[in-house]
Amino acid sequence: MELKFTEEEEAFRAEVRAFVADNLPDEVREHVRCGIPLTKEMVVDWQRKLNARGWATPRWPREWGGPGWTATQVYIFNNEIEAAYAPLPQNFNVSMIGPVIVQFGNEEQKKRFLPRIANLDDWWCQGFSEPGAGSDLASLKTRCDWDGEQWVVNGQKTWTTYAQYADWMFALVRTSTEGKKQEGISFLLIDMKSPGITLRPIQTMDGAEEINEVFFDDVKVPAENMVGEVNKGWTYAKFLLGNERLGAAHVGLLEARLAQLKAIAKERIVRGRPLWDHPRFRDRFVEAEVELKALEMTAMRVLSSIEAGQGGDKPDPATSVIKLKGAQTQQRMTELFMEVAGDHALPWVQGADGDNARIGPDWTERSAPNYFNFRKSSIYGGSDQVQKSIISKAILGL
Amino acid sequence: MNFELNDEQRMLADSLRRLLADRYDFEARRRFMETPNGFDRSTWTDFAELGLFALPFSEEDGGLGGTSVETMIVGEAMGHALVNEPWFVAMAIAPALLEAASREQRQETVEAIVEGSVLPAWAHLEPGMIDQGEPVTLQATEAGLLSGTKTVVHFGAEADLLFVTARGPDGGDALYLVTRDAEGLEARGYRTQDGRRAAEMTFESTPGQRLSGGIPVSEAISKAQARALAAIVAEALGAMEASIELTVEYLKTREQFGRPIGSFQALQHIAAGAVVEIEQVRSMSLYASVMCDDPDPKARDLALSAAKIKVCDAAREIGQMSIQLHGGVGMTMEYAIGHYFKRLTMLELAGGDRDFHMDRLTEAGGLAA
Repeated sequence: MELKFTEEEEAFRAEVRAFVADNLPDEVREHVRCGIPLTKEMVVDWQRKLNARGWATPRWPREWGGPGWTATQVYIFNNEIEAAYAPLPQNFNVSMIGPVIVQFGNEEQKKRFLPRIANLDDWWCQGFSEPGAGSDLASLKTRCDWDGEQWVVNGQKTWTTYAQYADWMFALVRTSTEGKKQEGISFLLIDMKSPGITLRPIQTMDGAEEINEVFFDDVKVPAENMVGEVNKGWTYAKFLLGNERLGAAHVGLLEARLAQLKAIAKERIVRGRPLWDHPRFRDRFVEAEVELKALEMTAMRVLSSIEAGQGGDKPDPATSVIKLKGAQTQQRMTELFMEVAGDHALPWVQGADGDNARIGPDWTERSAPNYFNFRKSSIYGGSDQVQKSIISKAILGL
Repeated sequence: MNFELNDEQRMLADSLRRLLADRYDFEARRRFMETPNGFDRSTWTDFAELGLFALPFSEEDGGLGGTSVETMIVGEAMGHALVNEPWFVAMAIAPALLEAASREQRQETVEAIVEGSVLPAWAHLEPGMIDQGEPVTLQATEAGLLSGTKTVVHFGAEADLLFVTARGPDGGDALYLVTRDAEGLEARGYRTQDGRRAAEMTFESTPGQRLSGGIPVSEAISKAQARALAAIVAEALGAMEASIELTVEYLKTREQFGRPIGSFQALQHIAAGAVVEIEQVRSMSLYASVMCDDPDPKARDLALSAAKIKVCDAAREIGQMSIQLHGGVGMTMEYAIGHYFKRLTMLELAGGDRDFHMDRLTEAGGLAA
């Protein structure tokens, strides 16, 4: 057991830190610092910089362009990236579809897609949820029928994040209505430029346009875009969701946010003295910090057991713990920022000038919107309640 | 970074758990509690024979040179079996305090502790003193005679050897070894809520042997408190594990409305919430064990405070949840779960309560300060 990092690991940390300092555009850093959504160009540009350095796909096998890092290095990398207000590698590409293709795709698919996924030549979106299939994802109805030459998709996906940016979608589709509902689902790769696909943006309550409805009307998909075996898609989806949960900790960013919050609280004068000197605030701050420390240790533990090869093929149920606590801690942080912003959180900011300009320091602009927006984190990727059901079954055997 | 136990550590966990499963089930514990001493001398010897008490001492002192990770492993197992014997005094407190002693002074005492021939106790707290780091008032003279009062000394009446903190003749922190049969030493022993024993102790010109020649006494005391805190965290983790196991077992077997109550989602989600909390406690226990020997005492103490805060919250949540899900039988002395709940509740108070540790952490401006 060793929590401290070795000299080599510290050297690696310095290397990552220097790389970020040299390559991260100021504008991107400021966006992340203030919690402002990044443009597509910002994400793509950063991903390509990482890819040029060989760091775009931290957990992929070396054979497919991964850097061959230990779990510790991955942990250090993520922490340094987030602590510097840099974006992590684009999640849908790197943490979701990439690993599925590596694990379950055929050689053809790997060669065709993986390099483009890593370089963000193709932006991928996730086609899982449907209006009638949220927590009960396996009841999804989007049909996928074989017409003798190709697959034909009809139906609707929803909550599709950044579908407006996407070149491709990895989708769960229904290829059979026989037997158990989980056994009639397939994992299909759909070109978003295919005829018959239409989008409808959904504005979230914070004003952001990140999610969409996606409609499929006789969308034709070639046979080679099926991942793995037909009707085995549920297995691949569970693998993907396990990876998604593991990434929910965001320890580096949350630590940076705490430090930011402390600095802000020292500046902000409330009833004649810095907010930092108010015991009620200090309590809430410390409680969030304690919870974050525990989350950090839990995330390190899970990575360490993966590295020791104790994880096996199945996702570790402790990833559900990380998902739950990660969401809760993120949400807690957005609450704290809004509380610290106070009245400055009030304006519905739409641009730098005019009636709807912000009234406080730069970080206050997104304090309320981010609080509203992050209610999503205990809903997406399997809600808190779904995670608890997973824990009941997989860990407790209830 | 590596969170995995090595082979020796895994063997230690296995052999201790086997011993406790054989010798220290719920019934055995009840029998031990009913003896006048309130603990089992032969179990104490078993622990010594397993080498537990040798673990924390250095090899040159006749120990095995273990780390706080070994102490954590032992603590978790002890908490899981709800062991009453004051193992943490022998394993966490005494080794740190003895660092204040010269090599010659250490020799005899270490040997007696390692072979399990003495039951050590730590007479430190005094009336009105609820937290760590407060000065003691028990006074020592130049001749090594001690006068004053100590409170809530774990197994103080039953112990053979007392580590006594005192104000030295020069006014500084001092540490004395006092044998239980020393003159002028009175103990009023009593049963505690969690089935152990403690004592109120008065010293009237009681002779003691001053420990000196090692590290400064104040440093040894704060080390002992840090290691004791890590032990408390580990023990609480073990007791929480057992509480969840017992509760889940009960959910699977107890039937109402014609089916096991564990099939009801309302109860499943409460139990799952306990799993989330205990995983966070497990993480904090690792953190506390590694940090409790950190050379920077400030970083060490803040880390331990963070761990203790997490333990206080989780102990209450998991303890109360366990009683609630057991329903009526959870309220009884006959079922083990109530005894775990009581132990967890006392652990909340041990080593400084939640408020104390919140104070320590907030005053420092948090962990990252």
